[in-house]
Amino acid sequence: MATISVNGMKREIQASADTPLLYALRNELELSGPQFGCGLAQCGACSVLLDGKEIRSCTTTLAAVGAKEVTTLEGLPARWGKQKGLSPTDAEKTLHPVQQAWIEEQVPLCGFCQNGMMIKATELLEQNATPSVSEIKDAFTKSGPSAHLCRCGSYTAIIAAVQLASMQMAKGGAR
Amino acid sequence: MNQRNQTSVYGAALTRRGFVKTGGALMVGFGVAGTGVFESSAKAATMRNTLDATLPESWIEIHPDNTILIRTGKSDFGQSTTFTAYRQIVAEELNASFDAITTVVMGDTDRTPDGSGAFDFLGSGTPNIRKAAAYTYQALLDLASQRLGIPKTAISVKDGVASGGGKSMPYGELVKGQQLKLTIPVKGDLTSPMGLTVDGNPPMKPVSEYTVIGKSFRNSVTASKVAAKEQWATDVRLSGMLHARMVHPKTLGSALVQVGTLDKSKFPNAQVVVKGNLVGVVAPTEWEAIRAADQVASGTKWKDWKGLPGHARLFDFLKRDADWKTTRVTKSDKSKDDVSPAMSKASKKLTASYQMPFIKHAPLGPTMALADVRKDGTVYIYTHNQNPQALRGEIAMMLATQPDNIVVRTFSGPGHYGRSNGGNAGAEDEAVILSQAVGKPVRVQWMRPEDFQWSTQSPASMSDVEIGLDANGKIAAYQIDHYMPAMQDDRPIGAVLAGLPTMAAPNEKGVFIGSTVNDISDPWIYDGVVNIVERGHGTFQVGEKSSPLTVGLRDHSLRTPGQFQQNFPRELAITEAAALAGADSIQFRIDHTKADSKAGERVVNVLKSVREASGWETRASRGKSNGSSVLRGQGVSVMFRSGTYWACVAQIAVTPSTGAITVEKVTVAVDPGIVVNPLQLKRQVEGGTVMGVSIALLEELQFDESGITTRDWRTYPILKMADIPEIKVVLLNRPEVGTYGGGSEAANALAAPAIASALFDATGKILRRLPLKPEYVQAALKA
Repeated sequence: MATISVNGMKREIQASADTPLLYALRNELELSGPQFGCGLAQCGACSVLLDGKEIRSCTTTLAAVGAKEVTTLEGLPARWGKQKGLSPTDAEKTLHPVQQAWIEEQVPLCGFCQNGMMIKATELLEQNATPSVSEIKDAFTKSGPSAHLCRCGSYTAIIAAVQLASMQMAKGGAR
Repeated sequence: MNQRNQTSVYGAALTRRGFVKTGGALMVGFGVAGTGVFESSAKAATMRNTLDATLPESWIEIHPDNTILIRTGKSDFGQSTTFTAYRQIVAEELNASFDAITTVVMGDTDRTPDGSGAFDFLGSGTPNIRKAAAYTYQALLDLASQRLGIPKTAISVKDGVASGGGKSMPYGELVKGQQLKLTIPVKGDLTSPMGLTVDGNPPMKPVSEYTVIGKSFRNSVTASKVAAKEQWATDVRLSGMLHARMVHPKTLGSALVQVGTLDKSKFPNAQVVVKGNLVGVVAPTEWEAIRAADQVASGTKWKDWKGLPGHARLFDFLKRDADWKTTRVTKSDKSKDDVSPAMSKASKKLTASYQMPFIKHAPLGPTMALADVRKDGTVYIYTHNQNPQALRGEIAMMLATQPDNIVVRTFSGPGHYGRSNGGNAGAEDEAVILSQAVGKPVRVQWMRPEDFQWSTQSPASMSDVEIGLDANGKIAAYQIDHYMPAMQDDRPIGAVLAGLPTMAAPNEKGVFIGSTVNDISDPWIYDGVVNIVERGHGTFQVGEKSSPLTVGLRDHSLRTPGQFQQNFPRELAITEAAALAGADSIQFRIDHTKADSKAGERVVNVLKSVREASGWETRASRGKSNGSSVLRGQGVSVMFRSGTYWACVAQIAVTPSTGAITVEKVTVAVDPGIVVNPLQLKRQVEGGTVMGVSIALLEELQFDESGITTRDWRTYPILKMADIPEIKVVLLNRPEVGTYGGGSEAANALAAPAIASALFDATGKILRRLPLKPEYVQAALKA
């Protein structure tokens, strides 16, 4: 039993404290953004933000999460809404500019890795509003526990989408 | 019984029923045409839990509100074809708008009509859904003629509204309260890997009238995936479901000696299931299943087995020990019986051998499936699968039941590039076996190491090439012998381990899929050369016969299957022949086409396009391997696949001291004939190119004498974002070709021969083996 804070809400979890966060998110909270890719923190498919920092939910235990705030892909619109001071109703109607850019650029092929890619993009743009291409490549390759992997090869589209999101965020969002 | 009227529409029998209330009219039209075709369609139609492929509404539903639903047995794993191209194709044939097609039903065996795998989506320009749409359009015209009281020929349709004689009626109004009964002729076997094919020749819309094809429509599932609203196979949960983890054998040939004892004090809710050599652990929660399976695995004893050559000895094994005699040798259509007279007169000769390793499909998520074996004997499987109907047939065989009792539902999942095109990817049959044993729905999720170690791989291959040049530096004779173990083992692994019925392992008597025969699958495009021989030699899977479990290194087709293994040696050898002739590598290729033929003109056109777009330097290869400074080189490759011509240029930098290659730029020119959706095709080509660079530089299965030692992303690295080249895609839309070729394969195979050619150009040293990783490059430079 543990209580964790996910996407702005306190949630009761039945699983033991040694359980990786991923299984609690997927199986108890039915949050399906983070995916099981490796269970080894080697691919990034399971990424979430923990107090704004990208972590791998497949190897982060509930005990390690403690009182920190977890943001999943599902929580990105509300996170953006809060940052922009939107009302919760307005925030619900929108997507995070990163998500919007992912649609604009038609980034996903199979899409299985894209949860982690969008989480990483959000982390990056919150720290560096106008990253260069090499900063984007660095963020997705060298920051965090491992590079974010995509088997379908969507990296080119991801770079374009991060740049688009950066522009949109500077303008206050797509909508 | 309602009265029915029948007329013949281009080989299909059209029946219209007025105000039919029930859906129980499936038998309409059977045998009407009196051809053998209808026997198989009748067989397919009588299978429960599948839509009747002979009925148009099984493919396309037109609703009273003018929305349209389409169904396809093809499963889309990121190609985007079923959500973009298929909608465009149907909209085009129906003269409806793209947006009118609001629903795509895909891959569920009980909700789609035709089966087959996630390959050749565009069906050489005429996919099933196109013909189904064309038949439906004719039926709609007939209906419009009747409703508007004017001849069919006087009707025109735009955006789903039929008009003529001063009157008009939208499709929705046309079909309201009516039910169109049209019997679509189909042939084939639903649960075979190829599924059913729509037959006949309905009139198709002329290309010159296309308004929907050629535009960059968006993939309708992208938004739901991005917003976390998509239901993935990984998300499906059933009431009372148990989680499972497998305890796979210690080696690829290890029989079970003794299963470990489950520690009930630690895992009170877990349960071990054993069937033959199949061991699984189930528990109500996923974490308990994971830990309990680990605990059971640590106490489980297996026999030892050492029947594999190990990756270091692989090519020695294939050359000396593999049996190439039992399987018949194939020849390409263009092959002559003997080119030795021409070869013997050559003034210069290239003799070389090329090697490609085993590589993994390596989906980003390990395989998983949820199975529900119910008390009445029906089985529901929820998974991500590229060929659900074939899976259905395999599960029926495993359980010795009828396919009627099996339903497979397909959900979004990680792209796995052909691994389940023959029906299974690993976990599906295991989930069924465990569910049957415990009487509850069971969800099997493989862990990352299992997905590398217990899945199939793309087979390794070797090719021997001889090219003879005449005094003018032209190819006088070309001979190639390709050697590759069987490529398609569709036996479900859980059934094999459990000792349950499966199809045979690939063998010399098998036909098509399931055969050890190595067909020539890289079409010869240099038709200026006529003295050619291309032979394919096949053998059994490595270690399969000596494995007491009949497992060994199982293989399965991977994106551009077989053709990749044959195109790499051919294209690299052509580059070497150009160098031997002192010619520019692109011009040498152009000079060996038959430019006055239709095909030759398209080859020349892609080559010229890629030359211009890439900034290619026209010159002979001038490589030097000495010096410590970075060397740069350029290389080209060409391929014809699924109706599409491809040319690729790679520009690379190599550091001789380290052997490290940086691919700086890849340019790909694509001529599919008609470009259906430019944006989606571009994304496919970019993605395929990244995969191709990854395979070229990094990917090689590691294995020892017992099994696969590759186990995670560290031991099987794939390309990372920092290492991608600049990618330039040139789409050549050529409507005059009149058809559309495929775009989701080939790109992954083009990079390797182009990069290897560029390495040769940069250094003057040839590395005829993949991957082009630093240690192999260094060794080649020292040679």
